Amino acid sequence: MLLPKFDYHEPRTLEEVLLLLSELGGNAKLLAGGTDLLVRMKLNVDRPSHVISLEKVPGLNEIIPQDRHGVTIGSTTTAANLAESELIIDRFAPLAIASSRLGAPMIRNRATIGGNLVNARPAADLSPACMVLSANLKIKSLNKDREVLVNDFFVGPGQTILDPNELLVSLKIETPPPWTGGSYLKLGARKALEISMVNVACLLTLQSADGPIVDVRIALGAVAPTPVRAFAAEEFLIGQKPSESLFKEAGSIGVGMCSPITDHRGTMEYRCMMIESLTHRALQQAYHRALEWKL
Amino acid sequence: MKKIIKLTINGESVEAAVEPNRTLLQFLREDLGLTGTKHGCGLGDCGACTVIMEGRAVNSCLILAIQAHGKEIITIEGLAEGGRLHPIQQAFVDKGAIQCGFCTPGMILSAKALLDRNPKPTEMEIRTAISGNLCRCTGYQKIVEAIESASETIGSEEVS
Repeated sequence: MLLPKFDYHEPRTLEEVLLLLSELGGNAKLLAGGTDLLVRMKLNVDRPSHVISLEKVPGLNEIIPQDRHGVTIGSTTTAANLAESELIIDRFAPLAIASSRLGAPMIRNRATIGGNLVNARPAADLSPACMVLSANLKIKSLNKDREVLVNDFFVGPGQTILDPNELLVSLKIETPPPWTGGSYLKLGARKALEISMVNVACLLTLQSADGPIVDVRIALGAVAPTPVRAFAAEEFLIGQKPSESLFKEAGSIGVGMCSPITDHRGTMEYRCMMIESLTHRALQQAYHRALEWKL
Repeated sequence: MKKIIKLTINGESVEAAVEPNRTLLQFLREDLGLTGTKHGCGLGDCGACTVIMEGRAVNSCLILAIQAHGKEIITIEGLAEGGRLHPIQQAFVDKGAIQCGFCTPGMILSAKALLDRNPKPTEMEIRTAISGNLCRCTGYQKIVEAIESASETIGSEEVS
């Protein structure tokens, strides 16, 4: 497989990137891990005349703890680094688990969180995890900075609110409160190098070890044109005492939020059944992790 | 327009001029003649092109040669020392983990990247480490056994 010809740029600062983006805009593509872009270029889906590498931009691939309140994750942080980070494993479990399930080891060593979000595939692994963690996306262009909640970022398959001259710089995530547990489940025909048929991320917060649910977030992927939050199921759960039957019922409410399609990975009917049982299981796992919460 | 890159391949410093659209895989195979690294799918699905870059297994078909500038790379040609096979290579031979051989360089480098970080992996960790390497002869069981055996050999060599 051969790559088409392009001009290659390797800016050394964020300002240079933004300048290049403002000059080249739609004719340029940003290269981070390359595990999506270079495939799309080889398959002739993308044919940018300019490729701007983010590799030499300092600080873009760092996981920076913000005291105890949260974390800032640079957009070119790799899935492998997220999956191995103790901070992410301890406090932002859905993201650590989703990162460890993306592609295969060689892909995880290159693929970046920014790339996974910006490509906006409905089945992307990291999107539901970022959604339950309510990540704030820091977006920059030459003359404008803005912050956008990840829930408002996706528009449709492959489409986001990003303008061609904008760069996703980092994600800011607040540390979930005490007695919070998280989970991520992915269903596919095999365990590696798989694009999900359905994926679910959950974040569940209890008032105390034996208290009711005070907050819960459920996000589903591959079930609609964009990843979606199952708000109805969340509302149903808040204030309730956790139980097996409660989680089961929440699963069936979760199905109502989705509009899955039938494709070669699975039928609509099968996906709906799987949304129900995966949501149920993801809630159970998040609940058990919430019980194990440690300072 | 060609750009000059400088990198270390199997401990040797290499300098060359490459087109931006040349992949690391093409550079290794076609420019340097290091054909041990295989070209399979070209899309990051099969793992035949696996090399180790900065200590991590990567698909060389999805990395531009330009991006490897300044990096340290190990290919299958860099494993044997003084005509003696690397313990992982020897284990693959001993355990019958090689059939047609096309996936073998990638499998061995994925195994090396694993053992360098985690010298005593569990069977599940081994299976995860090679989950991006497809073997169409489907000899996975023997490959897993070979990697287990290599981890024991390397462990005992370090002790003695």
